[in-house]
Amino acid sequence: MTLAPPPEFRVGPLTRTDIVRYAGASGDFNPIHHDEGFAKAAGLPSVMAHGMLSAGLLASFVTAWFGPGSVKRYGVRFRDKVWPGDVLSAEGRVVGELVEAGCRLAELELVLKRQDGTAVVTGTAVVWTGEG
Amino acid sequence: MTDVIAEWVQPVEWGKVREFSRAVREIHSEAEPLIPPPTFPMVLSADFVERLIVDDLKLDRRRTVHGEQEYVYHRPLRVGERVRLRARVLSDTVKLGKRGGRMRVVVTEVELASEATGEVIGFERSTAIETAPVEGAAP
Repeated sequence: MTLAPPPEFRVGPLTRTDIVRYAGASGDFNPIHHDEGFAKAAGLPSVMAHGMLSAGLLASFVTAWFGPGSVKRYGVRFRDKVWPGDVLSAEGRVVGELVEAGCRLAELELVLKRQDGTAVVTGTAVVWTGEG
Repeated sequence: MTDVIAEWVQPVEWGKVREFSRAVREIHSEAEPLIPPPTFPMVLSADFVERLIVDDLKLDRRRTVHGEQEYVYHRPLRVGERVRLRARVLSDTVKLGKRGGRMRVVVTEVELASEATGEVIGFERSTAIETAPVEGAAP
């Protein structure tokens, strides 16, 4: 069976409200993500987005592609900071397919990029694609 | 196996799943049944991670970055179920960085299991990196 091509996935320009919404939703209230004074005292130009917001967006790209509940494994590395105003887009490709315990699985390579093409999060995933 | 340093039970609440789904632009957030997004376990572990980083490991948050994050699922989480979480520190090591500074690398794991049956649902693993203090910076 041919797997569906990856969907379009673009978010932004990211606002401080998007970042605060993620803080509230996740419970991660590290002030570096919402307190401008704290962020500047830490040497940053402004508040920055949670790495896990980017990781969550990239995961939503995967569930938009293969459906909710399809993810068996999802791993990411944080490559660069994300700032208010950034526009993020997700890309992914299938790098392998296998059958395991009666399940068809696909292995994915994933990247979330900012508007200038810089990778901010890279990742890999294994997703369920059907009965084997 | 490393020791369990914390254990707690949390429900997977519909309202929290909905709120989290919207925050990460999960397009299925209007669908029923609602399935928690892959990174939703953050919601169940955020309080623990906060205490662990600030109070137990005493990492300086101004120079601590999140390096990696991983999820493993034996099955999807279900809205309404109660999850028993068990946290372990898998490793806590000091490494030399590329520019000679010392970096502390801490890897934690949270196991998610069904409170009702004990079935292991999956794992959440996080890598935090505390970089060396900047020379001459205020403490």
